[in-house]
Amino acid sequence: MHSVTLTQGLLLALLAIIVGVDFWLEALFLFRPIIVGTLSGLILGDLQTGLIAGGLTELAFAGLTPAGGTQPPNPILAGLMTTVIAFTTGTDPKTAIGLALPFSFLMQYIILFYYSSFSFFMAKADKYAEEADTKSLVKLNILTTSIVAITYGIVVFLCVFVAQDLMKALVAAMPAWLAHGFEIAGGILPAVGFGMLLKVMMKAQYVPYLMVGFFVASFIPFSNLLPVAVIGAALAIYEYFNSKDKLLKGESAIVKGDDYSEGI
Amino acid sequence: MKGSNKVLTKKDITRLGFLSSFLQASFNYERMQAGGFTAAQLPFLKKIYKDDKKGLSEAMTDNLEFINTHPNFVGFLMGLLLSLEESHEDRGIIKGLKVALFGPLAGIGDAIFWFTILPIVAGISSSFAMQGNALGPILFFTVYLTIFLLRIVWTHLGYNLGTKAIDIIKTNSQMISKAASILGITVIGGLIASYVHINVLSTIAINADHAVSLQKDFFDKIFPNILPLGYTLLMFYLLKKKKVSPVVLIFMTFILAILLSFIGIL
Repeated sequence: MHSVTLTQGLLLALLAIIVGVDFWLEALFLFRPIIVGTLSGLILGDLQTGLIAGGLTELAFAGLTPAGGTQPPNPILAGLMTTVIAFTTGTDPKTAIGLALPFSFLMQYIILFYYSSFSFFMAKADKYAEEADTKSLVKLNILTTSIVAITYGIVVFLCVFVAQDLMKALVAAMPAWLAHGFEIAGGILPAVGFGMLLKVMMKAQYVPYLMVGFFVASFIPFSNLLPVAVIGAALAIYEYFNSKDKLLKGESAIVKGDDYSEGI
Repeated sequence: MKGSNKVLTKKDITRLGFLSSFLQASFNYERMQAGGFTAAQLPFLKKIYKDDKKGLSEAMTDNLEFINTHPNFVGFLMGLLLSLEESHEDRGIIKGLKVALFGPLAGIGDAIFWFTILPIVAGISSSFAMQGNALGPILFFTVYLTIFLLRIVWTHLGYNLGTKAIDIIKTNSQMISKAASILGITVIGGLIASYVHINVLSTIAINADHAVSLQKDFFDKIFPNILPLGYTLLMFYLLKKKKVSPVVLIFMTFILAILLSFIGIL
């Protein structure tokens, strides 16, 4: 059992502000759990927990992406709270992922609220455009981004510093089967994300590739996915030149009906 | 006319590449990325229009219309559009091109960055991180820093190609998306096998001395990872055909896991 000190709480809030802006803009991908978890671990003085929690959460969130303007459960709060909960309560990071989820949903809904309410700023933006007032339009963009940044700071400070005793009491009160249940759920959770990825990408014609990837990873013992990625790349390049050949010969059949509305 | 009135320098275009990252600064449901899209181009629009308030106002108004494209590729679009603004093409053409291109760019961008590169990089770097190896996040950061810096390359490409870019996008976008999907799907197959963990604890007693472990003696020998594959496909089915929200599925997974833990099956 550890505690989060005031300094650590403030540093975590600062981290949340920086990666929060990064997520808002989707710039450097510092907002992904693998980075957030690692940096949170560094702040708490427990890099190992941060790395493990970050890696686990990253996988669970690999398919939960904001592609196409939808807002997924918040990856920052997931990575950060998984690390903080594992650190303060001493639970297995796999169990901590489940306990961090409510925080992740909370932030997701706050961002959704901003997506709706920032619509009101657009009338102002139109007025600035009419007056060719470039300075005010830039200021408007800085204002919206700042609102998001400050929100991240406040929410994270409240979650990690103010609510930590409550969290500890909650974890201590959990029976073993419940903690084990959370741990199992943490292991299965990536399935939801991968299901999301398949939802946008999968078509009947791609089934063979899913099979190849699955069987290669099941039967070739290797510590990471690089061999699968290389095989996938080979298949992709093969298919690319195949399509190009057909296109050059004027057989546009493969392209037909392959528009963006159905998947990608 | 083109070429005679260039006011933007190479340095400007590089700066545009960086500023393009403000695309989502005022993201909202009404216009999506329009506010940031306009703001990022302002320094250069000002340089093009100088004292022409009316021209600047019209350009701003056009850019403030709905747009939803990909943050990694938007520099390409901005570069292209600014090259047209610079040669004072007809406003309708500029606007039309923007509307025609932002969708395809978003499609390729999502296919490449969210659905292909992220699962691969996340899968590989997480396998290091989960062993407590700092190489994981370092690798992840290096890849994404490179991707970020490439924004400047796309921006220059868009600006230099100008209208020539349109044919290239139109003919290649579907083939690139398809190739990216194939790579992505292959990797997802691997991810399912490697990172979805379902381990059945139940055993079937054959007689007083022998028990068969469902996981070790049955699943692992006959069809390893069949449960992870089955559960992922169930998720896929519920998301795609039954339109169940992912949040509901996350809750469902937790309830199921806790229940099965309570009974002692998992």
